[in-house]
Amino acid sequence: MTVPISHETMVWIAKTFGLLYLIALSIIVLGYAYWPSKRKEFEEAPVTILNKEDRPWQ
Amino acid sequence: MFKLHYKLERRAIGLTLAIIGAASIGGIVEIAPLFTIAETVEAAPDMRVYTPLELAGRNIYMREGCYACHSQMIRTLKDDVDRYGHYSLAVESKYDHPMLWGSKRTGPDIARLGGKYSDEWHVRHLINPRDVVPVSIMPAYGWLMERTLRMDDLSSQLAAQRAVGVPYTGEMIANAAADAYGQANPDSNAAAAVAERYGEATNVRTFDGDAQRLTEMDALVAYLQILGNLIDVNQKTAAAETE
Amino acid sequence: MLSQLTKGERQGALTILLAMSLLGVAIAAGGRGDPIATHGFLIVILSLGMAVPVMRHLFDPEPSSARLRSYYDDPSKAGIVLTMAWAAFALFIGDWVAWLLVNPNLTFDGAWASFGRLRPVHTTGVIFGFGGNGLIATSFYVMQRTSRARLADQFSPWFVLIGYNLFCVLAVTGYMLGITQSKEYAEPEWYADLWLLVVWVVYFILYLRTLSRRQEPHIYVANWYYMAFIVVVAMLHIVNNLAVPVSLVGAKSHSLFSGVQDALTEWWYGHNAVAFFLTSGFLGMMYYYLPVRAGRPIFSYRMSIISFWGITFMYMWVGSHHLHYTALPQWVQTLGMTFSLVLLVPSWGSAANALLTLNGAWHRVRDDATLRFMMVAAVFYGLTTFEGSFMAIRPVNSLSHYTDWTVGHVHAGALGWVAMITFGAIYASVPWLWKRERMYSPALVELHFWLALAGTLTYVFAMWNSGVIQGLMWRTYTENGNLAYSFIDSLVAMRPYYIARAIGGLLFLLGALAGCLNIYLTIRHAPLASDAEGSQSKPLYGQPAGGSLQPAE
Repeated sequence: MTVPISHETMVWIAKTFGLLYLIALSIIVLGYAYWPSKRKEFEEAPVTILNKEDRPWQ
Repeated sequence: MFKLHYKLERRAIGLTLAIIGAASIGGIVEIAPLFTIAETVEAAPDMRVYTPLELAGRNIYMREGCYACHSQMIRTLKDDVDRYGHYSLAVESKYDHPMLWGSKRTGPDIARLGGKYSDEWHVRHLINPRDVVPVSIMPAYGWLMERTLRMDDLSSQLAAQRAVGVPYTGEMIANAAADAYGQANPDSNAAAAVAERYGEATNVRTFDGDAQRLTEMDALVAYLQILGNLIDVNQKTAAAETE
Repeated sequence: MLSQLTKGERQGALTILLAMSLLGVAIAAGGRGDPIATHGFLIVILSLGMAVPVMRHLFDPEPSSARLRSYYDDPSKAGIVLTMAWAAFALFIGDWVAWLLVNPNLTFDGAWASFGRLRPVHTTGVIFGFGGNGLIATSFYVMQRTSRARLADQFSPWFVLIGYNLFCVLAVTGYMLGITQSKEYAEPEWYADLWLLVVWVVYFILYLRTLSRRQEPHIYVANWYYMAFIVVVAMLHIVNNLAVPVSLVGAKSHSLFSGVQDALTEWWYGHNAVAFFLTSGFLGMMYYYLPVRAGRPIFSYRMSIISFWGITFMYMWVGSHHLHYTALPQWVQTLGMTFSLVLLVPSWGSAANALLTLNGAWHRVRDDATLRFMMVAAVFYGLTTFEGSFMAIRPVNSLSHYTDWTVGHVHAGALGWVAMITFGAIYASVPWLWKRERMYSPALVELHFWLALAGTLTYVFAMWNSGVIQGLMWRTYTENGNLAYSFIDSLVAMRPYYIARAIGGLLFLLGALAGCLNIYLTIRHAPLASDAEGSQSKPLYGQPAGGSLQPAE
C-alpha cells in the first residue's frame, strides 16, 4: 500500500489541518446554534415533544 | 414494496452529510499517515513469515480468544521492559492480520514468550494450567491434544494471507499442508523442506510430544514458541541506533 | 401482528424468508467440514420457523386503513421484549465469566465454555443484543413521536429488527463454535458483517423516509443522535471489518490491515463504537425519554445541539488513547490524548443538560424509580466521561492500561449509563406501548433500581481497587532495583476483588430479571389505561394540567 505523498507531508497535514478544522467547525456550530432567526425554532422544538396527543398528524 | 418515492427531503439528507463530514475527518487524519509510515521506518528484510503450522496455531489462539487475557505488546515503560523483555517494535506485527496486541493483562504479556519455556511445559500448562502454576486462573485446554489439526484449508489460508499482503510464495502456498506436517515431524522427509522455505532457525520439533498425530496442540505450541522470535530484536535496535 | 401487514408485505416477507432458507441450505451444503455449515443450518431453521406463521396468515384480509391514523408500534414492542431477553442472557453470561476468573473450572470441560469464547458472547450480547435492540426499539418509537408520523412502511421495521437479531445470534453462536475474527467488539466473521450491512442500510433508509413524512420543518435533536448512531456505525463497521475470506463457503477471513495500521483501525472503531453506539444512540434515547417522563422540556436545546456536534466531531480523534506507549507513533498518541481531554466539554454539556432539566422535578425523581433510572444514568455518564478523559492522559494510562481499572471504567459506562438509561426508557415505554395505566408493580421497578445501583457500585469499586493495586504492583521496585512482585503475586491479590465483582454482577442480573418479570406481568395483567379505547393520549407520568411547560431557560 503505497501512497504518492511522502510521510512527512501526511503527518504535517494531519497535525495542522485537524486544528484548523476544529476551530472552523466550532465557529460554524456556535453560529448555527445562536443564529437569531433560528431562535423560535429552537424554543419550540423542546416543547413539541411534550404534546399529549399520541397519533400522527395526518 | 420498497417504495422509495417519499422524497427524502433536504434537511435530513443535509444532516446526514454533515454528520459524515464531521465524523470522518478525525479518523482519516489519524489513520492515513500510518499507511505511509512503512516507507520511512523499520524495514526488516530478515523478518520471516509464519509457517503454515504457526499460522494454524495463531488461528487457534484467535479462535479461543486468548487475546482477551494476554497482550502481545510490551510498552516502552521501564517496568514493562524489565518484566517482559525488549519493547515491541511496530515491524514485529507487520504480518499480523489482524494484530493481537490485546487490551487486558488478566494473564501476563506474551509478546516474547517464544523459547522461554520448553514445549513440554507448554503442553502440560495448556492441558491443565494448575499443574504447572497452582494459582493460575487460565482455562484448561486439554482437548487441543485430542483434536487433529485441520489441514485441508492451509493452502487457502496462506493464499488469503498473501491476498492481504503477506509475502508467501506460490511454493509455500502449494506445500502448506506438507510443511505443517513436516514441521512437527523432524524425522519425516517433509522436515527438511520446511527449514529450506522458512529459514534454518525454524523450530522443527514434535511440539506435543506425539509424532503420530498432528494435533491442534502442535500448532498452538509452535505458534507460542515463535512469539517475539520472528526477528532478532536486539540486533535490530542496535542497527537502528548506529544509523 | 401478522394480519396487521398488508398482503403485499406478507408476500414480500415470505419471499425473503424462503430466499434466506435457500441461502442457508447453500451455506450448509457448501461449507461441509467448516464451522460455517452450522450457521447454514441455523439460518434454515430460523427462516423456515418464521415462514410458517407468515404462510398461515398469507391470505388474511387486508388490514383496515384505520391503522394509518396511529403509530406502528408492533416492532417496538417486539424490540423491547428482545432487549430484555438479551439483557437476561448476556448479563448471565457476564456473571458466569466473572465467576470463571474466581474458579476457572466452571467451564465443565466444554471448549465452548472457556473464558476466551464466552467473553465475546457477553460483550456482544450486552452491546449489540441488549443495547442494539434497545436502540432500535426506542428509535422506532421516538422517530414516530417526534416527527408525528407513522413509520414509512410496515415491512422494513421488521426486516431491521429480525435481521439485526439474526446477526446477533450468528455472532454469539459463532464464538461458541470458534468462529471469530478476534477484533475486539467486532468479532463476527465476514458473512455476518455483510449481513449486518444490509440490515443497517434498510434501517437508515427507513429512518430517512419516516423523518421525511413529518410536518414540522425542524428535526428534533433526539433524531440527530440516533442518525449519527446509524450513519457513523455504518462507516466504522465497513472500514474496520475489511477482510479477505479464505473461502466463500468458509467462516474464516483475514483482516486487510495488519500491525500498527490494524491496531489504530481497531481502536478507532472500538472507541467510536463506544461513542456512536453506546453514547450517541443512548443520548438520543435520553433526549426524548427524560424530558417526557419528567414532563419538562430539555433545559437548553442549544446546548444539546452544540454537544451533538462536539461529540460527533471529537470522538473520532481519540481512539489512539488505547495505544499509549505502544509501537504507534507518539504524535498520534498525543493527538488522541489531547482530543480526549477536549471531549469532556461536550460530554459534560450533555450530562449537565440532563440534570438541569430535572431542576424543579426533583420530587418526581424521588418518587418515580423510572425517572431515577434516567437521572442516575446521566450522573454515571458524567462520571464515566470524566474518568475516560482522565485515563487518556499518558501517565495515568501507563498505570491503568491492561488492568482491571479499564474494565471498571467500561462497566461504569455500560451498567451505570447505557443499561440504566435503557431500563428507564423501557419502563417509560412499556405502559405507553401496551396502553397500560402503569407498570404492573412499581415496587419491582424500585427493587430493580436499587439492585442495579448496588450491583454497579459494587462492580465498579471492586474493579477500581483491583486495577489500581494491579497497576501499582506491576511497577513497584525493591530497593535493589528489581521488580518487587511477580505477575502471579498480582494475580493472587486480585482474588477478593474478582469475587466482589462477580457478586456485583449477580445483583445487576437479579435486577434485570425482576425487570423481565415486571414487564411480563404488565403485558399480561396490568389494568388498561382508562383512556386506552378512544383518545390515544400517552399517559405521561404525573402530567400537570398545562401551564408548566415553558422551557426552563
